[in-house]
Amino acid sequence: MSSIPWPFPSLGIKASLSAAASRRVLRWARKRQGIDPSVTQLRPGRVYILPTGVGLVFGLMAFAMLLGSMNYNNNLSFVLTFILAGIGFVSMHQCQRNLVGLELSFAGVEPVFAGQSAQFRVAITNHAKNPRHRIRLYTDTTISEIHDLLPGESKVFVLAVATEKRGRIPLERFGIRTLFPFELFRSWAWLHMSLSGLVYPHPADHAPQPPPTQIAHGHRQHDARGEEDFAGLRKFHEGDSPRHVAWKAYARSGQLLSKQFAGADTSSQWFDFNEVEADNTEARLSILTSWIINADRTREDYGLRIPGAEFPPSHGASHRRRCLETLALYGLDKRNG
Amino acid sequence: MVRPRGTDGSLLASLPWTLLALAVSLVPHIQFLPFWITGAFVICAGWRYVMEKRRRPLPSTWFRALLALICFLGVLATYSSVSGVGPGSALLAIMAALKLLETRKRRDQFVLLFISIFLVMSSLLREQYLWSLPYLLGSVVLIMTAWLRMSAAKHETAGRSFRTGTRLVLYAVPLALAMWIFFPRIATPFWSVPIDTSQATSGLSDTMSPGDISSLSLSDEVAFRVAFDDTIPEPRQRYWRGLVLTRFNGRTWSGTDPIVGARAHEQVVVSGDPIGYEITLEATRQQWVFALDMPWTWDLSRTFMGPQQQLARAQPIDQRVAYKATSYPEYRTDVELSSFARDYYLRMQEGSNPRSLALARSMRATVGSEAAFIEAVLMKFHEEEYFYTLEPPPLGSDPVDRFMFETRQGFCEHYASAFAVMMRAAGIPSRVVLGYQGGEVNPLGGHMIVRQSDAHAWTEVWLDGVGWRRVDPTAAVAPDRIEIARSGSMFGGAGAAWGLSAPSALLHQLTLTWDAMNAKWNDWVLGYGPEKQDRFMEWLGMDDPDWRKMMLTLVALVVGLILLISVLLSLRYRPPTRDRAAVLYERFVKKAGVEPHTGETPAVFAVRAETESQIPAEAIQAVTTTYLDARYGPGGLAAMQRLESAVAAVHRQ
Repeated sequence: MSSIPWPFPSLGIKASLSAAASRRVLRWARKRQGIDPSVTQLRPGRVYILPTGVGLVFGLMAFAMLLGSMNYNNNLSFVLTFILAGIGFVSMHQCQRNLVGLELSFAGVEPVFAGQSAQFRVAITNHAKNPRHRIRLYTDTTISEIHDLLPGESKVFVLAVATEKRGRIPLERFGIRTLFPFELFRSWAWLHMSLSGLVYPHPADHAPQPPPTQIAHGHRQHDARGEEDFAGLRKFHEGDSPRHVAWKAYARSGQLLSKQFAGADTSSQWFDFNEVEADNTEARLSILTSWIINADRTREDYGLRIPGAEFPPSHGASHRRRCLETLALYGLDKRNG
Repeated sequence: MVRPRGTDGSLLASLPWTLLALAVSLVPHIQFLPFWITGAFVICAGWRYVMEKRRRPLPSTWFRALLALICFLGVLATYSSVSGVGPGSALLAIMAALKLLETRKRRDQFVLLFISIFLVMSSLLREQYLWSLPYLLGSVVLIMTAWLRMSAAKHETAGRSFRTGTRLVLYAVPLALAMWIFFPRIATPFWSVPIDTSQATSGLSDTMSPGDISSLSLSDEVAFRVAFDDTIPEPRQRYWRGLVLTRFNGRTWSGTDPIVGARAHEQVVVSGDPIGYEITLEATRQQWVFALDMPWTWDLSRTFMGPQQQLARAQPIDQRVAYKATSYPEYRTDVELSSFARDYYLRMQEGSNPRSLALARSMRATVGSEAAFIEAVLMKFHEEEYFYTLEPPPLGSDPVDRFMFETRQGFCEHYASAFAVMMRAAGIPSRVVLGYQGGEVNPLGGHMIVRQSDAHAWTEVWLDGVGWRRVDPTAAVAPDRIEIARSGSMFGGAGAAWGLSAPSALLHQLTLTWDAMNAKWNDWVLGYGPEKQDRFMEWLGMDDPDWRKMMLTLVALVVGLILLISVLLSLRYRPPTRDRAAVLYERFVKKAGVEPHTGETPAVFAVRAETESQIPAEAIQAVTTTYLDARYGPGGLAAMQRLESAVAAVHRQ
């Protein structure tokens, strides 16, 4: 991802200097605004504005035209000059108003594997009776698509943040900005919703063979059991799948009963952190990740044993998520996790 | 690094608008530009559009560089200079054409639109007509629309962009007006660059060769307009002095270059009442400044009186100028003439026009005084068969002789030249004055219009003890030309010839109206300079206006207007107003004076209101049912109206 400039036109200052200034300004804005709730409406006081490069050229041109008009005492070119100056002023206010009042709400981020980009989704709602033009979100490394928002419309903007390591990826700050109408000004707002996404370990590219499969004969009861043989009814317990509720029986007797099945033969395997043959923790986590993905893909049961946690063999999306989350956060500071 | 040259059609939505903006800003230049530049622009624009449409690659860098070199040399060859509006606008047009051929991205389009703005600006420097203002506004709207199109979303229609552009330009108009009125005007330019040296001069030529051109162009173009302070001089006094021709080579009269005349103004002795007036002179691209004979004061900067009391400005009149002047119709000048000067004003090409010289000398011998001789020559023109015509036959060599003895037809130049030659032959110093004679008073504006067709030539002769005296030989032949104030003679003549007297009178009326509007426009818009501004500020109630006060007012006004615009914009972006039905119902609740509970439906509230409020039950029921119908039912507008009348009925009680 190429670096996206912050909303300061680079004025030819040394990069390190402007970076330092940028950091100071960001700290100031963060202190001034505090942490934003996950649904935030933009007040005028926090929408900042500065001229763009084009805007500076436009201003210089208007100034040159003013000098020319004064020199020739030409009243019509005065008119042209002042109309352009007026357009400058108007576009400044229009540019700021284009953001003020927008409502931003965090719409979630799906966990990704390290190396993929985390897609932070932010819904922006235009409550005004006029359309908003050319809106986009950005961070210092990434930028979203540009969208227009019709009156009352709500659209989801995606910020794809590149990831490198497993763990929580924080998005402390992102910005919303617009160049509308004439790109003479860039107005923007910073939001600090303290968002974070989960990054699973990168699945190992050449993982060794997983440990051998054990065949289990359905002595364990859980939702994921096979449904081959109906074995009878028992009293409904919280946690039983609604699919297994005997609705006909309920209609007759008014008593909730669950259908019991004789479990089919299920194969399951244990993935043990300590038994993975690898040099370091990260490599082990990568291999475990790779195993889990493969097992999940082939719909095999698997269990995970890792210092501090143990997940008995099972399958399904939530099992997979729990396991991968544990791997993602393994050994990381609780504060981050 | 080699820039990619492919086009991908991404500019297809915005390019036509950029091209349109460029074309519109180029239109006022076309008549001044060499044909090949306009042609180059049209070809490049069309070519570029086709490239975008068919996704063709742009021409190579080498090709473009070669083209740029050729065009630049072409401009140099055409103008032999690159400063001033003429070559400047030519270069801008060429830049626009060439830039189109490398326009791939939006950044390039910005450059094109900047060029477009500069083209509009330079056209305004060149000409400021009444329609220049609407043109300027229209082109700004177009340019700003093109600007919006560059970044517009795919679904955004051009019509919407146009409306947005127009709206933003309209917001800017009051700001521009405030700045225009209060921005302090200064009198003197910082530096002087000729506006356009490439254009042909208009108005009078510097020399006079009667008989060379066999017809006088009767252009109806306005030469200048005059607003008199109080009295308008008689038609026979309306001699607008221009340049003076002193040298005659037998065929052509010529003058000297305008040089600062030593003591020319001191030689003038005036008497009688002065006439004060203000002249708005159209651009002539010459140095001559016109004033009523004899000018005494004038306030045009860098303007001086030449040795023959002609006014000239140090730099050509390349823009319309306005100046105040006073003149004395009664004056004497150069009462003493040195023998050197006397010889100068008597000098002639020996051998040419021999018959006229002989005639003059024999006539001089028969009369006693110089005054009597002048009278005799004028009588000759008046009584013998000399005709005033605008289309005399050409004269060839010895033009004065041919005119005096053979053709006997001519206009002012022929008579002035012949008369001055005869004076010189008889030993009377003489010179020819070129200027304008006459002028039509526009009853609508109260000002006088002097047209190019009023151009005139007359003579001045030097008499001992009197000084230079104006003699107009044309008056002897065609007294009407001088005595009668022209009133639509052009239209009368042409109209009568076509048998269209009534419509032509109407046409004349329209012309006068248009002229009056132009005069006001010149006066109030183009002529809004330091003095007019001061006067306007005083009229507005500003004491002792200076630039500080004006700048302060300007800043205050601009800030105020910007706040207003900001409020307007925030109104545009406020959330939609609440449901009308809800507003009406709330009004009813307020009137009832009963606090609704949270979650209480209107029906439940109605039951409670019937007992707790003073409003009759039927009225409450009416409001409740119409409210439910208007807000939730399919009743539409009719239901809303019923609700309105129901709530109004409650309020009347």
